[in-house]
Amino acid sequence: MQALSDVSLEVRPGEVLALMGENGAGKSTLLRILSGDYQPDQGWLTLAGQRLTFASPRQARQSGIRVIYQEAEIIPGVDVAENIYAGELPRRGPFVDRGRLAALVREAIKEYGFGTVLPAHADGDKLSPAQRQLVEILRALKSGVKVLALDEPTSSLTDEQVESLFVLIRRLRSEGVAIIYVSHRMREMLQIADRIAVLRDGRLVAVRPVKETSEGEIVRLMVGRDLTDVLERTPSASSRIVLRVRDLNSDWHRGISFEIKAGEVLGFAGLVGAGRTELAKVVFGDYRRNSGTIEVDGRAVDIRHPSHAIAAGIGLAPEDRKGDGLVLIRSVQENVALAILRRLSRFRFIRAALERRVVREYVDRLRIRTPSIGQQVAKLSGGNQQKVVLARWLAAHPKVLILDEPTRGIDVGAKAEIYRLINELANEGIGIMLISSELPEILGLADRVLVMQKGRITGELSAAEATEEKVLELAMLDQLTVESETA
Amino acid sequence: MSVNGPESRGAKAGGRSRRPEIPGTVRRVFSRVDTESLSLIIALALLVIAIASQTDKFFLPRNLLNIGQNVSVLGLVAVGETIVILAGALDISVGSIAGVASVTAAIALQHTSLAGGGVAAGLMIGLAFGVANGLVVTVLRVNPVIATLATFAAFRGIAFLLAPGGKPVGVSNEGFINIGVGRIFDTDTFPGIPVSLLLLIGVAAAVEVMLRYTDFGRSIYAMGGNPAAARLAGISLNRMRIAIYGISGALAGLAGIVVTARVTAGEPASGTQGLELQAITAVLLGGAALTGGKGSVIATMLAVLLVGTLTDGMNLLGIQTFYQDVAQGLLLITAVAIGQYRAARAERARTRTG
Repeated sequence: MQALSDVSLEVRPGEVLALMGENGAGKSTLLRILSGDYQPDQGWLTLAGQRLTFASPRQARQSGIRVIYQEAEIIPGVDVAENIYAGELPRRGPFVDRGRLAALVREAIKEYGFGTVLPAHADGDKLSPAQRQLVEILRALKSGVKVLALDEPTSSLTDEQVESLFVLIRRLRSEGVAIIYVSHRMREMLQIADRIAVLRDGRLVAVRPVKETSEGEIVRLMVGRDLTDVLERTPSASSRIVLRVRDLNSDWHRGISFEIKAGEVLGFAGLVGAGRTELAKVVFGDYRRNSGTIEVDGRAVDIRHPSHAIAAGIGLAPEDRKGDGLVLIRSVQENVALAILRRLSRFRFIRAALERRVVREYVDRLRIRTPSIGQQVAKLSGGNQQKVVLARWLAAHPKVLILDEPTRGIDVGAKAEIYRLINELANEGIGIMLISSELPEILGLADRVLVMQKGRITGELSAAEATEEKVLELAMLDQLTVESETA
Repeated sequence: MSVNGPESRGAKAGGRSRRPEIPGTVRRVFSRVDTESLSLIIALALLVIAIASQTDKFFLPRNLLNIGQNVSVLGLVAVGETIVILAGALDISVGSIAGVASVTAAIALQHTSLAGGGVAAGLMIGLAFGVANGLVVTVLRVNPVIATLATFAAFRGIAFLLAPGGKPVGVSNEGFINIGVGRIFDTDTFPGIPVSLLLLIGVAAAVEVMLRYTDFGRSIYAMGGNPAAARLAGISLNRMRIAIYGISGALAGLAGIVVTARVTAGEPASGTQGLELQAITAVLLGGAALTGGKGSVIATMLAVLLVGTLTDGMNLLGIQTFYQDVAQGLLLITAVAIGQYRAARAERARTRTG
């Protein structure tokens, strides 16, 4: 699959270009190409009229292009000053000239106005993500950066920090640095950017000067994709509620309440980081629930461990299939049977014939392509691996099935099979909590859509009224109103 | 890794009686030994040929059974260590637990003068100390290596504190001593099968069956292979860890009992000769992954046998003990290096096809 195709974009010295797009639109890939991490299959970069090819991130940095990621690199155990000057510490003889280093750093920090937010002697690994970003920016400035790209720089910053970052950005702009700014936050974009470039599905759909556009237009540009190739679902929700969550609070969530009926697919939409994956894990008992109640099939259950959730009739196919879902070095059989071992056992001994029969049943039903049920799961394709996870939960006969990004990273054919399966399972009366960052998937499959943002549910849409624009509005624009209220 | 052979559909379709299951099981056992331990068997064969070509004493029944008796202590500890390593952890304290159990068993014998009393005391103290390891790892959340490194030292100290004056505690109970030196079926021509070897075979077989055919065993492989996935499949990792360390401790206790019976004394220094390291060596030599999820008791037992045969052969040939240590070290490096090479080749093959 192509992450980016045919994108042509230019940034001028002394300009802030905002890069916007949904999750997976290709923003990160573009930054990776800029930083020399990825090489383009076609096309090229020019800097000041000169054609560039980067074989490594190092070359990109040397030519004056610097990408600052959310997870900025930092040398642990070393203070801020040494981190900034790593590799070129001022020396006196064989020793580091500490006095001069301190003076240099103090000056740099003061000059860019970080005095209050970045102590020069703080230890590298004690820095917050925001402070790490500042260290990286200072590092870049020191080496004479010409193009500075910032990947969601404000996602972990406080308002005060955002303000000082903006002061810095404006200053760099006036010094003739070209700045590329990636963010989800519409308001910030409108505040800081000169032009906005919108990516969708790996293509550049538009570049607009900020003065000539509006929030509405940008959102439309970001989502305006056609919804072909997605299944139309016939709703099968009954009136019986299989999962009811009331006033749930956790370290990530505030006042979450929702219910799923038997046979209903409830979609959870939101941006990455809205707290949907965490909600799945809190409901499933893997993360701590601070308060709130959970009822399964009308009965209150106190879920404090995944085993409680499973006993109550909940299954979870986690987002990180390889990390959380599968025991890759074990067989298909062992992975499918993992959640129902006790049910397959008599006096703690697994009934071998019964186990094989059950495993084969679900391997056949899900059309898992594997030479035998003894095959190591690591050797299956991504789609078949996901089906192994699903087979495990189907074998457990859940009342509620939580699917977190069920089609991430799998090929189109397997995707279609999984869509059909979700439909089938709902029709059989299972309540499905579907978390997906692919909006068409949510809109095509869900009977009802809840939109989350920053650990809260910000809206509910019925299948009929849910559109990409509306969902995205609730996922993003609501932030605007909340923020302007507090401002 | 359990690689099932080609499934015998025909046998299954017609198999309403339990009979067709048996050859399948036998074949699975065989194929498992085949894939995992073939190189161990080959190494053992080569070693036997090499030793037998130098001395004609090797194949004497007395010598072969001596090997069996000599490996029983290491074997018992290695069975427990196998479970721990399969679960993705490590137990460094087993040698010290053996020492504590040895002293405890001897003291109990002095007080009860019942063989069973000594055995029960040794087992219970081993279990209790093992559970203590498990609690340190789970409740206090100390990394398994650090936790058992700490208890390795602490338990050793306790062993010497328990023994009056830090000296060995004499044992004279005939029945108890038989556990270490007794032989059954001995005749004028046949030296008899060591009781301690039978004990090891029984324990190893029971644990292998447990690992392979019970939900507990499956859960051990799963949590070793991927703890997060095991937890999300409803397995309580903490409870599992406590149970696993408990079993490892109890088996170390049993090893301590065998030592006590053999040297007829509760010896606080039992297992001070690096028993834990030998056990870990044997498990890894058996092809288990230190990261967990892969390995078997059968493979560990083959490795224990290999180490025992090597020691025996070198003794027969009059080679100094220090050379034996060097040989054992080289053996481990060679085995792991071969394993790595094979894994890398398999990985390359996989990326090519997939």
